[in-house]
Amino acid sequence: MTVTELPPFVRADGPDKVSGSGRYTADLTLTGMLHAAFRYPDVAHGRITRIDTSAAEAMPGVLAVMTDADVPDVHYTWAVADRTLFARDIVRFEGEVIAAVAAISPEIAKAAAAAIEVDIEPLPVVNDIEEALAEGAPLVHEDWASHTADDGIIRDGNLAIYSALQRGDADAAMASAATVVSSRYVADASHAAPIEPRAIVAQWEGEKVTIWTSTQVPYDARDGVCETLQLPASQVRIIVPHLGGGFGGKCGFHFEAHIAALARKAKRPVKLVFSRWEEFVAPDRRREGMIVELTTGLDADGRIVARKGWVGIDNGAYMADCAFFPQLAAMHVAGPYNIDHLSIDAKLAYTNHQPSGSVRAPTAPQGCWALESHTDELAAAAGLSPVEFRRRNLVDTGTTGPMGQTFDEIGALRVLEAAHAAAEGSGPLAENEALGLAVGWWPSFAVPAGAYAKMHGDGSVQLITGAQECGTGAVMTLRYLAAEELGIDVEKIQLVYQDTGAAPFGPGATGSQTLLNHGRAVETATRDIAEQLRELAAEQLEAAPGDIVLADGVASVAGTPTASIAIDELAGIAAGGNLLISSGTADVPEYPTLEGSHCVGDQGMAAWLAPQFSCHVAKVRVDRDTGVTRVLDVFAAHDNGTILNPIGAHGQVEGGILMGVGQALTEGTQYGDDGTQLNAGLLEYKLQTIADAPNIHTTFIEIPTANAGPKGSKGLAEAPNVATAAAIANGIAQVVGAHVTQLPMTAERVWDTANGTADQNGASA
Amino acid sequence: MSELVNLEVNGTTYPVQIALDRNLSGVLRDEVGLTGTKEGCDDCECGACMVLLDGQPINSCSYLAAQAQGRSITTVEGLAEGDELHPLQRNILATGGVQCGFCTPGMLMSAQALLDRNPDPTDEEIRIGLSGNLCRCTGYARILAAVQATAVELNSTSSS
Repeated sequence: MTVTELPPFVRADGPDKVSGSGRYTADLTLTGMLHAAFRYPDVAHGRITRIDTSAAEAMPGVLAVMTDADVPDVHYTWAVADRTLFARDIVRFEGEVIAAVAAISPEIAKAAAAAIEVDIEPLPVVNDIEEALAEGAPLVHEDWASHTADDGIIRDGNLAIYSALQRGDADAAMASAATVVSSRYVADASHAAPIEPRAIVAQWEGEKVTIWTSTQVPYDARDGVCETLQLPASQVRIIVPHLGGGFGGKCGFHFEAHIAALARKAKRPVKLVFSRWEEFVAPDRRREGMIVELTTGLDADGRIVARKGWVGIDNGAYMADCAFFPQLAAMHVAGPYNIDHLSIDAKLAYTNHQPSGSVRAPTAPQGCWALESHTDELAAAAGLSPVEFRRRNLVDTGTTGPMGQTFDEIGALRVLEAAHAAAEGSGPLAENEALGLAVGWWPSFAVPAGAYAKMHGDGSVQLITGAQECGTGAVMTLRYLAAEELGIDVEKIQLVYQDTGAAPFGPGATGSQTLLNHGRAVETATRDIAEQLRELAAEQLEAAPGDIVLADGVASVAGTPTASIAIDELAGIAAGGNLLISSGTADVPEYPTLEGSHCVGDQGMAAWLAPQFSCHVAKVRVDRDTGVTRVLDVFAAHDNGTILNPIGAHGQVEGGILMGVGQALTEGTQYGDDGTQLNAGLLEYKLQTIADAPNIHTTFIEIPTANAGPKGSKGLAEAPNVATAAAIANGIAQVVGAHVTQLPMTAERVWDTANGTADQNGASA
Repeated sequence: MSELVNLEVNGTTYPVQIALDRNLSGVLRDEVGLTGTKEGCDDCECGACMVLLDGQPINSCSYLAAQAQGRSITTVEGLAEGDELHPLQRNILATGGVQCGFCTPGMLMSAQALLDRNPDPTDEEIRIGLSGNLCRCTGYARILAAVQATAVELNSTSSS
């Protein structure tokens, strides 16, 4: 493993993180603080017939016990309001919170939670996507038609959300195809698995509550607390100490309200720290299990003439943020290909599993794995190499995608050629080694965001941003954008972030949105200060503001560098006058239009702003005796627009690829017949270690992109997670002679595929 | 049952009154007050709680605090010399080996133990030496580069 020399990137949070002085939520202690523990059911589906908290309440050291009866009667969750803070009458998955305890020690809290008597009458468990959608299946939500839902949501039985993509006439075109190939692929659910288990501390002062929490989305967390505890936004302040990773697992609103409610009842600060088991089973964010069936017709030249598909997605027991998943998954199995005739149906099914939710590029790694495995099958059927087949069919600048979006300048073909060339140039392959190639795509998400900026009298700057640093360095990079606008050293800029009480709204660390949205807000805010500095300098230097250049800490007159004044000095002048303060918001770029297509159950996921393209080539070695696969190298090429922070960008690609290796080979949740997770621990659910990590070779195809992020950038953090599993799959297939149809492609599944003993239907969900 | 235990951490002795069944990571964090040592799994699976005990790396989540009495404990807070970051700390920042930072303290302690016993490790030896520390952010390449760079730096210093 070698790391290319890149321009230096100084993380403002770096010294905290390497010295041990940085505080994460679990590191906080407040005077009088109590410890929380939750009571969970011991079944995945059942009717609660009795809850008796008296024994727990009587235990010495227990100061509060809460159940559904102790909180406002509110159903919450975006799109379909199907959930309450505490289980009410029915438990629908093993990680559902029935009751919560606050006590003077974690040990007493746990003992008290265990002492709560709960009688549950078991109900039939919905343990599988296709079972859930079958006629007469037991219902996960018998009463769910009564839940409030967004307009236009199609739901029926355990069908939570239905979406379809249509363009042209897929049936007629398929009938005219020279070659037709059908495939079925089944992906297990998997986990975000950040190394920091979530933690929350809540403290009330009068009517106001401050909540320190390990969330990726402080404003969503605040809004969830406000909705469920019926508080105005002004009374709830969310502060995020350093966040120990998220990957989507810490998006959404989770347990902040439970802890705030406990703290209010106990009249003491309360802290929750999750165990690793809880981190695996309780949050409503895990990567969804998925079934993909695809049929594609080709003409005699190996060009795609039609595609039909069906996608089944495991929503789990409650709606987290999956409403857009069917449409997004459908886009991923349609793929970045020129297809004039398309018909994809996608269904999100309620089951008695942990709720699914946005984990790094939701629906994409599994969708891409299925699609790109299918694509290699198509290439073989057409008698073309994988790279040649894609050359003939990939979208690119000026072409029209499967839903009728015409692309401005994009690098789809360029990433294909770059990754392919890098891999081909890497030397000969040994026996049982192969190069597998896959292409992925991912949208950029533009939403409103705000920033404040102020320059102090000494010339130092505070940037107050609603952005959330989950580790990527995206928030840290905001300093560089501000320094460039102001013409000052980056070290003069201090960030105030992760505090809803201080900063304007931001979407948080979700959807690769930090630099795309907050970057534009920071540029706007600091450009305003720069404008004020130019006016001040113009007065001092008797020049026109438009002629003032801010650079290297100095304001000077263009063409007359001797006419200058230090920016620090200007800041001092302003401190005695009008002050250098500003705010900025990010105007949302316009989304592209679609031609000739039709969406059923539209969730806005078919028209992609600033689409990102990637091609990964994995060099794999398969042990044919054991089925064990090693990924030796990954050659990655990415079009993410302009790269703002090379070290950060390489770090995202490398981390995303390794997560993809895990999803490809080892990371899959296994469910027992009772609907509970069998491998909810880090020994049983194996993440990749440094010993497993491939060498990763990354090329960025930088295309400054209009109508996107700062300086022509696109999103970045999720795209690297899209194509890796697919590339590995195509490498394995070359070695063993057939595609593994289940994800993860464990040693057993690879061995079975190599030996013709694989279950072609796969275990679904 | 609690007992007074003297723990020597980063060269300072801390008398702590603790129950004998308490683990070292919890005592370091809650009693000694050094929260740089992280807890990610409580089961020796993630390595975030790695500290050095008489120079040997251990998962402090699964080690009884009382057993550490009379021995020398080094945590991430003990790596830097005053305000001067240890080369491992400096290099892991320079290479980009720190993202969320939650695995970083444990990773640094494993790296320190590795370089103490093997000042010139091969890539393979670094991979083995750090394989008990999970990182979910980086893909490890930049962590490995930081250890390589530190070995080179320390060796050139010691030979000059």
